[in-house]
Amino acid sequence: MGDYEKIAEEGKFKVGADVFEVVFDKIGKRGVRRLDGYEKASGEAIYNRDIQLPGMLYAKVLASPYPHARIVKMDTSKAEAYFGVRGVLRYDDPELKGRELNGSYFAPEWVNKGLAGWALKPIHLVLGDEAFYEGQPVGVAVVADSEQIAIEALQLVEIQWEELPFVLDQVEALKPDAPILRPGADSNAVFAGDLVEPVHEVGDVQKGFQEADRIIEFQARRRAHLWAGAELPCVVVRWRDNNLEMWVHQQQPYHSKMLISEWMDIPMNRITVHSPYMGCSFGGRGNPANNSENGMNILATLFAQRTKRPVKLLYNRAETFFGESGDMMVSDFKIGTKNDGTITAVEVKNNFAIYMCTNGIEHFTENTRIPNLRCETVTVDVSIGPAWWHRCEQLPNVFCFTLAFERVAAELGLDPTEVAIKNDGYDGKASSALFEYKEKHGFPARDSLVECIETGKKSIGWDEKWHPPGARKLPNGKMHGIGFTWDHEWDDCRGTGSAAVLIENDGTVSIIGHQSDVGVNSWTTYCQIVADELGMPYEDVRIKAFELDQGFALMSPDGSCCLCANGNVMRKAANKAKAMLLELAAKKFEDVGPEDLEIKGRVVRVKSDPQREMTIKKIVKNAMPMFDSCVFWTEAPIIAWAWHNQGIWGNSITTGRPRLCRQAHFIELEVDTETGLIDVKKIVNVNDIGKAVSPETVEGQMYGGTYMGVGRALSEEMIWDPKTGVLLNRNLLDYKYSTMNDSGPIDALFLETGLGHGPYGACGIGESTPTIVPAMFAPAVYNAIGKWILDFPITPDKVLKALGKA
Amino acid sequence: MKESNYSCPYCSTAFETSEELKKHVISAHESEPLPSPEGTIKLIINGELQTFHVEPEWTLYYLLHDKLGLTGAKMFCDRGACGSCTVIMDGRPILSCMTFAIECDGKEIETVEGIARKKHPLVEAYVNNHAMQCGYCTPGFVVTAKSLLDKNPTPTEEQIRSALEGNLCRCGTYPQHPKAVLEASKILTEEKGD
Repeated sequence: MGDYEKIAEEGKFKVGADVFEVVFDKIGKRGVRRLDGYEKASGEAIYNRDIQLPGMLYAKVLASPYPHARIVKMDTSKAEAYFGVRGVLRYDDPELKGRELNGSYFAPEWVNKGLAGWALKPIHLVLGDEAFYEGQPVGVAVVADSEQIAIEALQLVEIQWEELPFVLDQVEALKPDAPILRPGADSNAVFAGDLVEPVHEVGDVQKGFQEADRIIEFQARRRAHLWAGAELPCVVVRWRDNNLEMWVHQQQPYHSKMLISEWMDIPMNRITVHSPYMGCSFGGRGNPANNSENGMNILATLFAQRTKRPVKLLYNRAETFFGESGDMMVSDFKIGTKNDGTITAVEVKNNFAIYMCTNGIEHFTENTRIPNLRCETVTVDVSIGPAWWHRCEQLPNVFCFTLAFERVAAELGLDPTEVAIKNDGYDGKASSALFEYKEKHGFPARDSLVECIETGKKSIGWDEKWHPPGARKLPNGKMHGIGFTWDHEWDDCRGTGSAAVLIENDGTVSIIGHQSDVGVNSWTTYCQIVADELGMPYEDVRIKAFELDQGFALMSPDGSCCLCANGNVMRKAANKAKAMLLELAAKKFEDVGPEDLEIKGRVVRVKSDPQREMTIKKIVKNAMPMFDSCVFWTEAPIIAWAWHNQGIWGNSITTGRPRLCRQAHFIELEVDTETGLIDVKKIVNVNDIGKAVSPETVEGQMYGGTYMGVGRALSEEMIWDPKTGVLLNRNLLDYKYSTMNDSGPIDALFLETGLGHGPYGACGIGESTPTIVPAMFAPAVYNAIGKWILDFPITPDKVLKALGKA
Repeated sequence: MKESNYSCPYCSTAFETSEELKKHVISAHESEPLPSPEGTIKLIINGELQTFHVEPEWTLYYLLHDKLGLTGAKMFCDRGACGSCTVIMDGRPILSCMTFAIECDGKEIETVEGIARKKHPLVEAYVNNHAMQCGYCTPGFVVTAKSLLDKNPTPTEEQIRSALEGNLCRCGTYPQHPKAVLEASKILTEEKGD
């Protein structure tokens, strides 16, 4: 086997329970100091927005003021002449004319011009003359001495617009009299590529309905919300001697490099990408194929080429509201169930606008024994910025899953936790099939769902507090409600990364690998893993993930799978380095072999005679990556690298890895029937994460997800003016997300069953809570007032309307 | 007629030398020797007196962040809704993005950099309690909490939540903040006790 074959083989994921020998010292322990902590708490952490270079110029792009309009005539002469303006780029400039964004790297065979909601837009120009949604970068960009001058110059551009008809609502958009948005099309329904099947069918739903004792039908709706990260996006570029240097607010900086290289025809080895700390991302800044990332990078690079000066292209808060929201869906459900809660068939008909990429039925496949499933999906183009997946694209799946289960339990008067357990399974097979899989593949024979439910019930006081809907009025006059939902774990089956482990000449350890930071404390976990795998002190291991942009790139903090991919990279590289270190040590001991030695803290010692030891520092003293060897012989350095591929996005059938970990969520709330306001009294999240490498980080993800989920359930909604098509609440006063006091106490509980497919039996944690929590409000509000409110977010006006008061 | 080199800005009396003018201003107008040129302000920033020439539209945030490189104050909401640009001015937490620099003449400003340099226990307490994720809003929380502890060294959890509820954190780290502030409060009280 050649070197290439060896590294490829080594990096392949293997199905089955993880087998490991490492002794946990720091892995799984509380109180491990987080590596980004001091910089962030002290204000020393540098974010993209903080980058300033000598002689830097500032660039702004025009945002379309209309939901659908074309530029008939544009005069930029006043802007060009304005004091302090150093350049203007127009849609008809030769560098830009007719040139589309390149998203091809991601989807060569699918939609070719991007993914998810971006696929729905008919044209993907970097800077075009037609806007398909308000806020779309269009027409012109300006670079100037200051941001203020650039803003003023854009106001001096004289544009004659032709306003075109628009439609905002996806149900309206399918009516015969709706304006057709896509040139040449005969409907606003859009083929969204292979990412979603128009009809997805498993088993035979008609047969399932016939077998049912009851048929339950209802409609539900999710409106658009936004991830609205803390840091306002910007890119900084510098162009020197045909070398491009860029500072990006990008979750996947390596992708930024690939895309800008392709678009600008700059060789990748002439591009340096810096990715400083990022003020939030949640997947939202993981879309290099769109205008606000790749498009931004392209325009800034063109300006830097023209002006020969560093350029910072910035967005303000309002500009972040366009093209980065979640999708919107209207769904019609038909569910067949036996009287004991055994569900026989689920049919969902979805109408998506601006679309994220999941269809709503997938969790029934991956998570239940329900044999008959059918999902009809229409994706519709509307005059609203395209959606992008952010914490996370599973929202449609979770929404349908929760509502279906909770409606069944409520209609039958059953305890929803029992309905969950009754239907647990995978691929239409009962949970006994999960146990067979576990046994066959060496996983512990534990029932994750039952354990999660038991833990959560105790914490919320389920058995004491559960009551029939609308039955408990509190002394304060409010109605008490309690709710539950469940789902499978997130996500341990994809991602690719590479890194090296180097033993420095003083015996400390450096992890070499490029990665952005989104705040999930990943560097700490890598150092925990490398330290424990080597048997060395955690304090001696460090990663400087921003320092290098070539050779090694770690799986980006994405998709809840960054630890599952990179954890494996770390331990492989660490173990190779360890073997090299012991080989060198054996030479120094002279009379023993590497297999006779072990690492303990900062020394290597002889296993059979632990008194015989040598410090690592002494062993590696001359193992030099570089030295001016005039006076002594050097030795080869201790450095080893590894690559790992955890798999590809997909379900249990395509990956061969059914999801074994489950989660259960509980909520207690109070509804004020006079004002319609909902008080969240307590939320309990129980997540079987297989194995926690950093317990505080796991809890942090659950706390944060809960607050995000509460906002999505109760207050986060983008509101457009139906007359003008303009977004009305494009700021953080009117677009309301959770503050500290918007939730009562949160219990962040986790189980460690070892049932994950990741390293040490772990699975993901980042996205699940904010995705699952929102839909759980529907059954809880029903439990409080006896009415279903299935139009999200559940705002006070909807509560009052449900109560017949508005 | 020979033009005088120095004229008094208060009464226009002309003088030959700046020394004479200074003497006149002090005795006749009981003022500082000379008023600063228009647009000049003095600030005590983290204990150091500094003077700046500022444009009227500059915010305090812009001066601190863009001109002085005190980048701990962050631009998040861009309109006074999130607390990430908070600094302490004369003992009170204020939003530097909503404050014009030119109106701050003579004020004492404390930023997160100053708080960290003084080794205030809040910084370590924030690290220990993981009261951060992406970290972008964290300095704003630390500054607001420091201002609270200055006034009330032993706050209750409810008082802490009330002081910090104006700070937005999109990562939702909220439950960890009261823990961090209580830990810092305990350390401060113990230090005083020693």
